[in-house]
Amino acid sequence: MNKRAVGYELVVFVTQWGLMLFGFGVLTKIIAPLNLVSTSMSLGLYLDAAVKGLIALVLSVTWLFIWDRQVRLYFRRRGK
Amino acid sequence: MASLGANTIAILIALGSFPVSLALTRFFMYWNLKHGIIGIDVHKLNRPKIPEMVGVAVPITLVLFAAIYAMVGGSSSIPLLAYCLVVGLAALVGAVDDRLKLRGIFKPLLTLLCGLPVLILGLAFPGQVYTSTLHVPLFGGYHLPVIYPLTILVAVSVTSNTVNMLDPLNGSMAGGISIVAGGLLIGSLLVGAGSTSIFLYASLMFSLLGFLYYNRFPARAFAGNVSQLSIGASVGALAILGRTEIASIVAIFPNIQNSFFFLSRIRRFTEHRELTSKPTKLLPDGRLADSEDPRAPLTLVRTLLIGRPATENEIVSTIWMLFLTSTSLAMITLLLTGVPR
Repeated sequence: MNKRAVGYELVVFVTQWGLMLFGFGVLTKIIAPLNLVSTSMSLGLYLDAAVKGLIALVLSVTWLFIWDRQVRLYFRRRGK
Repeated sequence: MASLGANTIAILIALGSFPVSLALTRFFMYWNLKHGIIGIDVHKLNRPKIPEMVGVAVPITLVLFAAIYAMVGGSSSIPLLAYCLVVGLAALVGAVDDRLKLRGIFKPLLTLLCGLPVLILGLAFPGQVYTSTLHVPLFGGYHLPVIYPLTILVAVSVTSNTVNMLDPLNGSMAGGISIVAGGLLIGSLLVGAGSTSIFLYASLMFSLLGFLYYNRFPARAFAGNVSQLSIGASVGALAILGRTEIASIVAIFPNIQNSFFFLSRIRRFTEHRELTSKPTKLLPDGRLADSEDPRAPLTLVRTLLIGRPATENEIVSTIWMLFLTSTSLAMITLLLTGVPR
């Protein structure tokens, strides 16, 4: 068994875990309290939720992108 | 620790799912073999024929024991009903796929519907099935009245399909998810979660262990989509019912990585059987190796084999070790989140 590969996987998991907690922290403390769209508007509540959802989606894609780069960096380099 | 008595009863009832799952697995091994429901173990040199869809024993056991707990345990039956419907619907989708070999896109689409019971019963009985507040480790939580209910459908579909995708080797799924369920059970006990989620996690773990007895290397029973999808849906439903959303995501990190790299390479929903470029190959000595095909997806198993072949047993043990790591992180996440009430 490739012990170095296992070590890399563990590094990836711990890094992604840390980033995930940080991302949820950003969402909880910064994004969620914002009033991005006035809730007094018609459908304002839903538009506000949609914009915040989009921000969360962008953060998730960024998180997956970092995961992708890490795995490619550790494994593709060795595989080629 | 809150309500130790209720939790003890929950775990004792759940313990019964181990022998029941074991017996049902044995029965379906015999029945499926007799009726020609078989698959070939392609990772063995002699390519043995193994009874397929035997993992149906797990969703049957889960639903059976949820019903028993609803009658004996005295807890609210609404969350248990939602759980049973999710598991049952996902098992149905899996069974249809096993028999009719649906195209890859249908599984994620059909499993989107499997989360509907949680959503509908949650809307009909507010506060009994889920709450729209997401509890975040270290930072408190926030209320998501619009987004949370919509996420339920996606969550069940994602967990069921990602669990479905990481069962290439004997015992990898059953062992991995039993570690996840066991870890989240311990975490839930430590934070004083409700006895229903304690019961459901324990029941999932013991049912999987019963099946694992026959599915471990060298496998005498295959799970089939019927089991993989329903077990994945069970993990998703439990994340919502047990309010362990973020911890559950952490626990299934190995699944997420595997699915993500599969999809990022293939760029469409497809079945493993339809892949022309395989990520691994079987060597003449019976070990598995990286296929070195640049068109093949960088699956979790492939990353573990880069540069060094290994036996199937070694790879499965390593996958379990990775699950143990991600589940440990999930338990820390649960402790950092605090009591999810």
